[in-house]
Parts: sequence; structure tokens; C-alpha cells
Amino acid sequence: MRTETIMAPTFDTIVIGAGVNGLVAAATLAKAGQRVLVAEQRALAGGTAASNEFAPGFRADLLHDVGAIQALIAQELEFSGLGLHEVRADPLVVTPDGTGKFLFLSRDIAKSAEAIRKFSSKDAERWPAFVARMHRLAGFLDVLYSAPAPDLLASSVRELLPLLKVGRKLRGLGKTDMIELLRTLPMSVSELLDDWFESDVLKGTLGAQGIAHITQGPRSGGTAFVFLHNHVGNDAGAFRGRTRMKGGVQSLSSALVNLAKGLGVQLRTDAAVSRILVRHERAVGIALRSGEEITASTVLSAVDPRRTLCDLVDASEFEPEFLQAVRNIKFRGSVAKVHLALDRLPAFTGLSNDGAELGGVFSVSPSLDYLERAYDHVKYGRVSTAPWLEVMVPSLVDPSFAPAGKHVMSIQVQYVPYRLRGGTWDAARSASLGDAVVALLAQYAPDLPNVVRHREVITPSDLEQKYGLTEGSLNHGELTLDQILFMRPIPGSARYRMPLDGLYLGGSGAHPGGGIAGTPGYLAARQIMADRKRA
Amino acid sequence: MANAYDAIVIGGGHNGLVNAAYLARAGKRVLVLERRHLLGGAAVTEEIYPGFKFSVFSYVVSLLRPEIIRDLELPRHGLHILPLESTITPLDNGDYLGSWGDHDKNRQELYRHSPRDAEAYDLFGRLMQHMAMAVKPILGMIPPDPTSLSPRDLLGLLKVGKHFQSLGAERFHALFKLMTMSSADYLDEWFEFDALKATKSASGIIGTFLGPRSPGSAYVLLHHYMGEIDGAFRAWGFAKGGTGAISNAIGNAARALGATIRTEATVAKVLIKHGRTAGVVLENGDEILAPIVVSGLDPRRTFLDLLEPGHLPDELVDAVKRFKFRGSSGKVNLALSELPNFTCLPGEGAHLRGAISISPSLEYLERAYDDAKYGDFSRNPYMDIIIPSMIDPGMAPAGKHVMSIFVQYAPYHLTGGWTDAKREAFGDAVVNTVAKYAPNLPKAILYRQVITPLDIENITGLTEGNIFQGELALHQLFFLRPASAWAKYRTPVRGYYQCGAGTHPGGGIMGASGRLAALEILGHA
Repeated sequence: MRTETIMAPTFDTIVIGAGVNGLVAAATLAKAGQRVLVAEQRALAGGTAASNEFAPGFRADLLHDVGAIQALIAQELEFSGLGLHEVRADPLVVTPDGTGKFLFLSRDIAKSAEAIRKFSSKDAERWPAFVARMHRLAGFLDVLYSAPAPDLLASSVRELLPLLKVGRKLRGLGKTDMIELLRTLPMSVSELLDDWFESDVLKGTLGAQGIAHITQGPRSGGTAFVFLHNHVGNDAGAFRGRTRMKGGVQSLSSALVNLAKGLGVQLRTDAAVSRILVRHERAVGIALRSGEEITASTVLSAVDPRRTLCDLVDASEFEPEFLQAVRNIKFRGSVAKVHLALDRLPAFTGLSNDGAELGGVFSVSPSLDYLERAYDHVKYGRVSTAPWLEVMVPSLVDPSFAPAGKHVMSIQVQYVPYRLRGGTWDAARSASLGDAVVALLAQYAPDLPNVVRHREVITPSDLEQKYGLTEGSLNHGELTLDQILFMRPIPGSARYRMPLDGLYLGGSGAHPGGGIAGTPGYLAARQIMADRKRA
Repeated sequence: MANAYDAIVIGGGHNGLVNAAYLARAGKRVLVLERRHLLGGAAVTEEIYPGFKFSVFSYVVSLLRPEIIRDLELPRHGLHILPLESTITPLDNGDYLGSWGDHDKNRQELYRHSPRDAEAYDLFGRLMQHMAMAVKPILGMIPPDPTSLSPRDLLGLLKVGKHFQSLGAERFHALFKLMTMSSADYLDEWFEFDALKATKSASGIIGTFLGPRSPGSAYVLLHHYMGEIDGAFRAWGFAKGGTGAISNAIGNAARALGATIRTEATVAKVLIKHGRTAGVVLENGDEILAPIVVSGLDPRRTFLDLLEPGHLPDELVDAVKRFKFRGSSGKVNLALSELPNFTCLPGEGAHLRGAISISPSLEYLERAYDDAKYGDFSRNPYMDIIIPSMIDPGMAPAGKHVMSIFVQYAPYHLTGGWTDAKREAFGDAVVNTVAKYAPNLPKAILYRQVITPLDIENITGLTEGNIFQGELALHQLFFLRPASAWAKYRTPVRGYYQCGAGTHPGGGIMGASGRLAALEILGHA
């Protein structure tokens, strides 16, 4: 008789990647009694929700907000006890119109309407109805995002029930809103906004929300969906900018680390995973770059689908068609970050000197055409010469971001392609991007170039190198209509289970995608628990 | 007073004529009223220059439903389709990409450019054929209203649901991708050779205001693939005598079935009495009575121009106002003293009997779109060229030729508006661009007719010059075409119906809207 020593696996589940999704998944599983290990390649947990001290005493966040935190996760993991403090800046967004005037959008619907009236009284009249309609439509996405993606081809009763539930909620929207949702999702955000408004600066301000982090312009079909996706979880009337925490995004990941550790999760940082161990066609653990092997019953990857399925698993474990589909996922990072350490806050022409209006974001997006022209460059592999800039000064809200009296400016720049025509990203190109951004902002804050003490430029290529994001895609794959719901990460594998027993995907590359903080991880963890119960 | 007619059809375009023919076939007394002196709407043949006949607007046919050809016995009434077998794309390096009627020849040609693409091509073709077959039953059905709880609508929805389930996961997902992706992204998944992707994706942008990289363009690609599968005739064809001959054949069929057709009869308003349709009022003040009136015009004209205000719910008025037209294409028709001589394939060859596509690269098309986005016509536009006189010698005097050039992008909303000077500049851009590939063209031109979207609107009545009576965008298809709850050819006014391409399933010389509307009216649906 042949004997084989079978060692019991060390962990129930190993989570790869300690970003928000990985941490939420780990905490959810640990809460259900599982022994969980989280392996993180960087020295610091948090993934893209981590602060970085880019100059002595100056910190900046990669992301300007943590995204939407859905009620189901906040309740399940008792976020109220985590000591998080939400920042509710007002105005939420300030947009220069290019002629010296500014549009201020606030959470307060009436206040925004008054601000809009300076540009168009017709638009001001329509604002409350627009706000209400968008809130209802995004509310439906919120429902869709609180459960695994509906399977439209479901045939078994068990599969059909959730679909019916969603269908009922959709009908509950009312006939007009339901048709409006179906009609809106494939539209371009330009078409959507042109239906409602006439003011360029209002449409530019809102339109930017429809193109965030994708390589499409506001005239591209499906950008109305992106606009709604980025409204999920927001208050009615609160566009541009989701939940922001005092202490920045790091405060969320730090709280999650504490929560997970309190539930018994082991967290190992500086532990880069080199591959997922497979035995008898089943994922059985991980190998670290150091050579160490750790075993587990299941492996949940919170890193993106390309890295998980093409880099960490041997190609022979999957069907070629499956791998081809994974290679076809569109990543196409389109965003760069520029962080500036400032000796003092520069004056913005036309705004108060103390930065009273800069607690939210300052957005260079004067019109839809401006954004569309910015997109034209990236189509041909070039950096936009007049990009959409989203500027934040986190030190105005939380002084711990900079030494006393000093300030930090965090600028998100779109469009910046991952693939440059006729070249690759290098130090010189990064530097010239940084120069260009500072020069552009100097049009609004002429003193800015004189107060910059340090500068950090993060290109899509850096995002790939340092954060492990394929092609610098912060959402682990573009959030376009062909890559959401049952199509995410790839059609046929949208229920977190990958076609390798024991392997699950629970990062932003899975439903409901980036910007819905922790939900993919949570739903993947739930799937693991359900499968285990069934087994 | 007894009505002279059971039904009046407004507009003698191909859908109006199909509609009239089906109604007449069911025994109705039908009158068709056409504003112009000739039938066809955008499917007309006119001798604009002595001896030279032009398919002035629409110029090829592939989508005409085979059941219509059969039911109306169109061949007996003069329809004769001549095959357009090839497409060549001249390349900037002096070479060309050819696509020929013959499978093996086709494969060899592709292999010359990219062995990988030659391998992928058959698989791609098979998938697209499956996709087109998957969509076909949907095109042939009256769209159910998803918000309605009526048994008929629920049954319709169930039918759609069952149909998608029957496709299986793989094809359903492929179809979903086609509905939501850009044609460039979709083709990038299959091919590497740029000119192949460009030429294929060109059919995804026709008639819409989208570039090949804009999501939504992959569906139009499929819409154009549809014609290749019906078996009535293979691929794209040219009607002997021009597209006007198609309209005339349908008109003849309608007459043979008892319909009356009047040209130069402009309808001013639909007559409404006691809350229901009573007939029409002509521009000259004449009233013609009928309990049923069917509009073959586009949704804006059907609802906003032909009805007095107050007959429609506000929601529908809003929806029609929001319906996207945005004509994006123009047409240049040339009378030629000699054939164009293409540098990539010199002399007179088989390639001149097919289509010539000016689509050398995806970037070329995308840049053409960039011009139009900001209100200019493309300096180097996408063009689909055919030389009808090569296929049908009757179109031009012996030894001479006509050339039909479909041009995109020419935006209806041109910055500063269209003027005679801009029309000519647009014509120059077209001729100069073709001349890069066929240098003898300018001196061979005997006559030039340049048609902008504004001209299309003025001559045919198509709002904003949109050749599909409204863009074929995802949010304007099926139960949303032209507006939710009014996608079943009915209108809020009893007895008033719609049958144009602005209704499901949309544009191209398909005739499906006209037929389905007739079935709905006759209660056969």
C-alpha cells in the first residue's frame, strides 16, 4: 500500500494582498472562525489605501477618498466602533470656469443650486430634479453591488431567487426610473448631461465623475454608467468625492488591520507571494519569494486578475480560452499622481487666502470639450497637454499631513497613458509630467512654483511597479459596461471562484469593482464560507 | 361620409411602401402620400446629370428582409440584386488589403499581411455569424415593454429571456460584449493587422456619431453583419437600376396589391377628431379621411411636426426631444469620364466591381472622428466607394462611369453652419483624399454632387440628416426605440401608428419596421 503523508494545512485561508479588500475578506473569514493569514508584499498594509511619506514630514495618499462604504460591510464589521472620522468638506468641489469665475458644488442641494444660478438659472432650476434622479439610479446600483452579480443565465431555482429579488427591487424603482436606468447605463456622460444642463462648467465638473480612471472620454458610450458607479453610496447632491476620512485613506486600512488582528488574523508584510501552490488541480497554499511555502485550504487573492491568474499560477492549470479571456481584460491605467510638499499654501487667484474653499477638491475641468480633448491625446499614446486635474490639500483638513505651517498638495492627473507612443516611462518623462502639472496649476495659483519644496510623481508605470497594479489600473481593470457585473473579472467566472479548486478572487477586479470599498473582498469571503458549508 | 381609405401611409420611403403593401395584401384600401415627385425617400435613383444615374443617398443593400422579398414577390416587380463581392482597402504604403468573394483567395490575401489574422478570421466569421443569428429573432419580433405586466408583454419578455438562455453562456457573453464594447476593442481581441481592424470597424461607425474606440460601436458592426446571413443573396449587393429600383419594386408590389400611391402630396398634419385619428390634412388644405394613419417619417416629425401640441404625454415629448439624431455622414456622387486608376491595383480589375474602403488604419478613422467631435468635417474622412456603372452599365453612358462615395464624418451641427462654400470645401476634401490613392480622379470628374447632412434633411426630410432615422445606439434600440412604452409602432393617439426606421429594429434598407408595424396594425402580432 502506498502511503502519503498528508499534513493538515496551516491555515484555512490565505489572503494575498493587504489592501482594503484583502483585509475585509480576512476579517470576515476570521469572524466566522477561520484561521487566516494575509500576505502583503509591501512593508505597509493598505495597498492603494496607504499613505506615503514622500518627503520628511510630508504625507500623501494615493487615493483621494476610500470610495463607497456599503451598509452591509459597515454593519457586518461594525465600522462604527473603528474610530473613523469622516470629513465632510464644503464645498465638495470648486471648478474654475476659465474666465475667472468659479463653480462651487456643495452637499447642500439648495446651496449648489444658487451657485449654479451664476452660470445658468435654467440649470439651477433643474438641479434638484437631477440630484434626486441620479440618487435613485445610483441607489439601484447600490442594491446590485450588495450581492454577487446576478446570473442572467441562471436556470436553477437557487440561482434564480436572487435574480428575482433584484428584479423586484428594480420594479420597486418605479416605471420611469427603471426605464431611465436601462436607458442611462449605455449612454455617454455627455449625452446624459446635455439632456439636463447647458452650463459648460457644470457639465465639465460633473462629467469628470463619468471618466474617472478609465481610458474613455465623456462622449464615449457607457460613461454615464461610470458617473452613476461613482455616485453609489454618496448623499443626494454630493458629486465628485466619496467618503473621506480624517487621517486620509490610511486611517481606514489601519483600522481594518486592527480589526483583523483583533479577530486573530495573522498579517505578514514584506511577504511577496511568488506563486500559488497547486497540488492535484487544487490551490493548496502559497510560496513566498523567500522560498517559504505556507499551506491553506483556500487561497483568496485580492491582487488583480491578470497578476493572480497569469503570474501566480502556472499556465498549465487553466484552459487556454480562460487565460486568453484574462489577457483580454482591459486595464489601461489613465491616471498619474503628483504630490507636492509646500512651504506654505499658495494663494489661488479669486479664492480666499486661507484655503477656506479648498477643503474638498479643486477641479480643472471647465467643460466637457476640455475633457474630451484631454482624452484625444491618450488615444494616440500621449499625455494630455491640458489634462483633467483633481487637486486636494489634505493638510488643510488634517494638519498631520505636513509639518506645522506647511502644506501638502495631492494632484490626480488624467489622462496619462500607461503605454507611451514611442517610448517608455523614465525619470525624465516623469519629471516633465511634474513640471507640466505645476505649470498648469500656476495659472490658478501663480505663486505655486515658488513654494514647492519637494515633488513626487507617480506614473501608471510606477503604480504597476510599486503597487503591483497591472498597467497602473487602480480599479484592477477598467470599469466599463463590458467588464462589470457578470462580466467581471471575466464572463463565466464572476462568482469569485476561479476555475482552479480552492482559488478565489476578491479584489477590485471582481464584482462590484473598484471604489466600492471592501465589498468584493467581503462577497468573496462569503462565497468561500458558503462553498465550505456545502462541501 | 364614408372614408375613401382604410389607411393612409405618410411617406413613400421603403418602410412606408412595405407597410402599405402588407396592409393592402390584407385587403385594406391604402393610400400612400409622398412629398417628393418620386418614391423611395432616401432610397432613390435620380438622373442628376444627363445620362448619369445616381443612387443619391442610400447606395447598397444587404439587410432587406427575405420574408419581405418573398411575401411581396419583389423580383417579379423588378427587384434584381447584383452582388458586390469584394472590398479593397488601399494602404498608405502603396499596398492594399483585399477581401474577395472566394474563401481561399481571401485567406491567402490575409495571410500575406498577417498569418495570425488569417487563422483567426474563420473563427471570427463563425462567431459573428452565430451572433447575427442570435440577434435575428429579436429583430423580427415586436419589442415587449419590460415595465408592463400585460400577459402579452410578459410572454414577450419570457421569449427574449428563453432565447438568450438557449444561446448558452459563451455566446451570450460574446453578444453582451458586442453590445457594450467599442468595435476597436472588440477587434483588438481578434486581430493584429491594423488595416483589417480599421476596415472591419468602419461598419461599426456608419450612421452614428461615434469613433471606432467609442463603446457602442461594436453593435453597429453586428447590425451590418446581419445582411450576410440571410441566404436571399450573399453579402452586400447593388440593386440593378440603383436603390430607387428597390423602392419602385416595393411600390409596384403595393400597387399590384391594390394600394394607391400619390407623389407630390405633402402632409401637413394628422387629423384628429374626438380623440382619435381621422385622416390627414395636406399642405394645400385638402383633407383625406381614414381611420388609420401610419407615419413612415422619423420620430421627431411623426410626433412633434405632424401632431398639434397637446395630444401627447409630456414624457413622450421629452423622450422624442432627447432622441439622438446627429447625422454624421454625407455623400459625394461623381460622374466620371474614365475609371479611377488606383495606385495599389492599377488598371481596370475586379476590384472596381466591389467596394473600395478608405480606412487605412484605426488611427485614421479615429482622427476623422476627432475633427467631427468639435464641429468640423473630417479633413481625411472614412469613405466607402462603389462604382455602380461597373456592376450595372445602365447607370452611365457607354465608356463613362458613376462613382458613389459615402463619407463620414460630416456633422450636421457644423461650427458656424453649413454654407455653399463649406459644402464645396467638404467635396474638395473628399476628392483630394481619394486622389491620394487614385491620382487620375480629379481630372476624370465631369460632374460632382456633394450632399451634406443638412442637404439630406432638406431633401429627404430625415431629421438632422441621420440616415437611420436616429442613431443605432444601445439606449435607442429595441423597447427604447423610439421611446419606452411606444416601441410597438403605436402612438398615444388611437389609430395613429409609426413604421419608419426610427422604430425597432432600425435603419438600413431592411423594411422590417414597415412590416412589423403592419402586423401590429393588423393585429397579427
